[in-house]
Amino acid sequence: MIVVLPISAGLLILFLPHRGNKGVRWYTICICLLELLLTTYAFCYYFQFDDPLIQLEEDYKWINIFDFHWRLGIDGLSIGPILLTGFITTLATLAAWPVTRDSRLFYFLMLAMYSGQIGLFSSRDLLLFFVMWELELIPVYLLLSMWGGKKRLYSATKFILYTAGGSIFLLIGVLGMGLYGSNGPTLNFETSANQSYSAALEIIFYFGFLIAYAVKSPIIPLHTWLPDTHGEAHYSTCMLLAGILLKMGAYGLIRINMELLPHAHSIFSPWLMIVGAIQIIYAASTSPGQGNLKKRIAYSSVSHMGFIIIGIGSITDTGLNGAILQIISHGFIGAALFFLAGTSYDRIRLVYLDEMGGIAIPMPKIFTMFSSFSMASLALPGMSGFAAELLVFFGIITSSKYFLIPKILITFVMAIGIILTPIYSLSMLRQMFYGYKLFNITNSYFLDSGPRELFISTCIFLPVIGIGLYPDLVLSLSVDKVEAILAKFFIKN
Amino acid sequence: MEHTYQYAWIIPFIPLPITMLIGLGLLLVPTATKSIRRVLAFPSVALLNIALGFSVDLAIKQINGGSTYQYLGSWTVNNDFSLEFGYLIDSLTSIMSILITTVGIMVLIYSDNYMSHDQGYLRFFAYMSFFNASMLGLVTSSNLIQIYIFWELVGMCSYLLIGFWFTRPIAANACQKAFVTNRVGDFGLLLGILGLYWITGSFEFRDLFEIFNNLIHNDGVSLLFATLCASLLFLGSVAKSAQFPLHVWLPDAMEGPTPISALIHAATMVAAGIFLVARLFPLFTVIPYIMNLISFIGVITVFLGATLALAQRDIKRSLAYSTMSQLGYIMLASGIGSYRAALFHLITHAYSKALLFLGSGSIIHSMEPLVGYSPEKSQNMVLMGGLRKYVPITKMTFLLGTLSLCGIPPLACFWSKDEILNDSWLYSPIFAIIACFTAGLTAFYMFRVYLLTFEGYLRLHCQNYKGAKSSSFYSISIWGKEPPKPKPKGVNHNLLLSTRNSNESISFFYKKRYQIGESARNLVRSFSTSPYFGNKDTSTFPHESDNTMLLPMLVLVLFTLFVGFIGIPLHQGGMHFDILSKWLTPSINLLHKNPTYSVDWYEFLTNAILSVSIALFGIFIAYLLYGSVYSSFQSLDLINSFVKMGTKRIFLDRIINVIYNWSNNRGYVDVLYAKYLIVNIRGLAELFYFFDRRLIDGIINGIGVVSFFVGEGIKYVGSGRISSYLFVYLSCVSIFLVIYYFLFLFL
Repeated sequence: MIVVLPISAGLLILFLPHRGNKGVRWYTICICLLELLLTTYAFCYYFQFDDPLIQLEEDYKWINIFDFHWRLGIDGLSIGPILLTGFITTLATLAAWPVTRDSRLFYFLMLAMYSGQIGLFSSRDLLLFFVMWELELIPVYLLLSMWGGKKRLYSATKFILYTAGGSIFLLIGVLGMGLYGSNGPTLNFETSANQSYSAALEIIFYFGFLIAYAVKSPIIPLHTWLPDTHGEAHYSTCMLLAGILLKMGAYGLIRINMELLPHAHSIFSPWLMIVGAIQIIYAASTSPGQGNLKKRIAYSSVSHMGFIIIGIGSITDTGLNGAILQIISHGFIGAALFFLAGTSYDRIRLVYLDEMGGIAIPMPKIFTMFSSFSMASLALPGMSGFAAELLVFFGIITSSKYFLIPKILITFVMAIGIILTPIYSLSMLRQMFYGYKLFNITNSYFLDSGPRELFISTCIFLPVIGIGLYPDLVLSLSVDKVEAILAKFFIKN
Repeated sequence: MEHTYQYAWIIPFIPLPITMLIGLGLLLVPTATKSIRRVLAFPSVALLNIALGFSVDLAIKQINGGSTYQYLGSWTVNNDFSLEFGYLIDSLTSIMSILITTVGIMVLIYSDNYMSHDQGYLRFFAYMSFFNASMLGLVTSSNLIQIYIFWELVGMCSYLLIGFWFTRPIAANACQKAFVTNRVGDFGLLLGILGLYWITGSFEFRDLFEIFNNLIHNDGVSLLFATLCASLLFLGSVAKSAQFPLHVWLPDAMEGPTPISALIHAATMVAAGIFLVARLFPLFTVIPYIMNLISFIGVITVFLGATLALAQRDIKRSLAYSTMSQLGYIMLASGIGSYRAALFHLITHAYSKALLFLGSGSIIHSMEPLVGYSPEKSQNMVLMGGLRKYVPITKMTFLLGTLSLCGIPPLACFWSKDEILNDSWLYSPIFAIIACFTAGLTAFYMFRVYLLTFEGYLRLHCQNYKGAKSSSFYSISIWGKEPPKPKPKGVNHNLLLSTRNSNESISFFYKKRYQIGESARNLVRSFSTSPYFGNKDTSTFPHESDNTMLLPMLVLVLFTLFVGFIGIPLHQGGMHFDILSKWLTPSINLLHKNPTYSVDWYEFLTNAILSVSIALFGIFIAYLLYGSVYSSFQSLDLINSFVKMGTKRIFLDRIINVIYNWSNNRGYVDVLYAKYLIVNIRGLAELFYFFDRRLIDGIINGIGVVSFFVGEGIKYVGSGRISSYLFVYLSCVSIFLVIYYFLFLFL
């Protein structure tokens, strides 16, 4: 029900009379808020935190021949991303306030994305998962190609080709898994979780899924769509992209690869760790070379995704919890950074960092928020990024799967990432805000952020601090599920 | 009695509310908050006073019956991994918290006046309170993770405070440099913590020490790995305490406001590194190599800092290098195992250095209206001199601080430095010789600062003088290499900026008219006639600061005078008794060390005489070089002509030049870093970016382009024109025939 609400409400937008942007805007925000409240309400009253099984299930038969069910359900793993989705989408809608061109379509697409994301996170059926995955792409493509920057068509094409290419592998994996069973297709998660495959087949499936998620996550070397896309998209789209879309890959990696293919995962996990460690360093050192502000932030999120991959790769309780926490925390921080970059771009109309400078005095509030989120992004203690990264670190250290020397090496490389992160994020801060510069453009006026923008950034800031001070807020949701997932590994090994 | 212990966890949180209040106020209702700024500044002082009360209470309890109290609460609940938070109160904690709160209170009171004209007055207080909170959190924390958390927070506060005047590009660079350098230390600290966790499986200090000792004795862990972990931990404190390879941030950190330099870069934050070493002392003592490493780093820093401080022009910078050198002493003391001496020197040095920094802040405050608001000018000792007459109280306090740092008997630093020197003789003669030599250097450079600032007479007009004589040899030898740009222009420009009124052009012309030989007084008067200055001060000379600034300095003078006595052995009832030892007894017992500290008065006297004579020698040389030379310009000429006679002139000149170059280039360490590290990182970034763009993206784009061409080709092929099909068909057939024909021919 929750899934269908936004898109059906979004369809209504198209039939609304065309009487200016205001009505559409308010309508969309109300829908988003309603949705968020509904989900929160549902979770508060019907969700038991200590139950690792699926709850709030919905099951309708959709296509009979194929045994294709409309099967939804929520467990400890998906509740975090769903709430995150609701939160970020509502704020992104609010952030998209200045969009005036074709606003009906814009808001419709936003709502369609909303549906797709929630549907993805709550789907309990492989094919439904794939359908939602694809549903996600179209709104993003349109949002990118219609409301983007100068090179938007190039980036949009790149995005769609990349992700569609990844989806092929996903489809192969889904169909292969579904049709593998001897008697008829099985697409349900539960039944396929208990299925065992021959080792070679499992590895092939795993690899197919991995490519799909690697495009989405992104994992190097399939990450180049991300800086282009983020560099060109409107900042509310960026918020959704960085906040939620990237998390779909990581979520899928846990949901399908870890849960359904545990054996292959334990084979692949050392490679995942190595790739993750390389990714942290690689993206963090590419980032200072970027002139474009948004691209720099984009590379920083690539670097942060490395922590998630490492957390997933270290098959430990702590590491996986850290990865989930990082999913949530980066969802907040990345979205906020893109939002702030977008708003400051709206004011100074400069994207290249070496042209900027000295805007701290006219815009003290943006300066404050931007520095707070940069600090959060470089994992300052007391903020959510720190808790997540710390848990990932402990996940590696306590992991019993690996030997001492590789563990030391991986930890060492990750820790170098800790040095590199402040280099790029603080120099970004310095180039943007510090110093003193007289602008030649006389007609440009710098307004500090208004109440709306301040509201958005504080709304994101509060959970960041909250999770940082007391990580159990999120961890308590996922702990049991994580244990249930990991129990499989110990049984099988 | 238990009440204080139970509520001790509250100490770090006491200064916090004011930070949050100010932060929220500034963000939401800036104008209203700014209008009540004094009202908001007051509670921060009051809250810190409460914290002081707490820590004094704790300290008294520690002295009387030393007990360690620990309370643990859990932070994250997880089945196989739980992080517990708690606090650990022992003598070390109580010493540090008293130190932090007293210096913090003094600095807050001081900065009320110092920052009163600044736009960011409230921001400053918010940062300061937050800094105090995190520092107190650091010293009360009971496990390594907690230490790491507050460690980072302290680093962030210092980042914010160094970059407080963020419109200055130098400050912006300095704060980033400080943060990144500290992050290198954090990197080591984090790895060390993880390694120790892997070895022992615990973060709590006491469990950690116990398990670690057991493992070492039973050879349960490879010594190499343990040493590696411990040295990584030490890397953290190297960065925080500005020890040798990572000291580069400290001098640049002087870009922050002066009260910050007093609080962070002299008294508290740099002490955090020492605190960590002291806290992990039981761990380090069981690994012998680490102790050697610590003392080695300490000695290098002692020497480097002292030599770098020799020829600085900026008053704060030379104090910063002196801080670095003194921290080296403390590190040396910890390295050679005299825990007590290290802490003692930490306390005495903190008070003396805070006093000195506050004094320099007061000087800068009085100089600013005269020479302009740029740190290039107001902190430049070239332009000072003869301030004795104008700022008598500041002069008195500064002199006391200087004497204390030089190690002249009744003052604080004498006792502690003497103890360190004494202990280093027992440990290794080479270290001791270096340390003693550096004690002389300390006396020299401190008195150089003092004499240049307060003796002689005001050299404001010296700008002109210097400009004219920049080609002369002696100006080089005393001030180092002059920048090629003539000074008066720069000063003038600065004043133009700072006055910002219509009179500036007039003053400018006055300036031009009065040429080199003119007296400075006229010049200065011409500036001060402008209404901008007229409101504030009508005198043409530096004026003494306000009482709110002088009061903290006087209180610190009291500390400087008397804090030394807590470490002096007193005979009481036939047994040796001194407060510090008693205070530290529990920790010393923890070290399994013999607390009997035998005091031999004879030995003490000889050592004292040695160190005092070294210090006096340094002072004498400083006086010879700087006191008389700049007493007047006539005598300058005299000395010039006198020195010219000397046969060793060229040799001396070379030595002096080397020293100046060394000092001005910061011992070439910065250059080295800039040349290799930063350039390499930039190059790496470029390379990666190139790789990313050309290779990975290039492959993707290449695939796109190729598929485009393939598509075009297929489109062309499949265009449906009969003639082209026929053409292809016929050409294929003809090629086939030709091949067949040739094959047939050859076979």
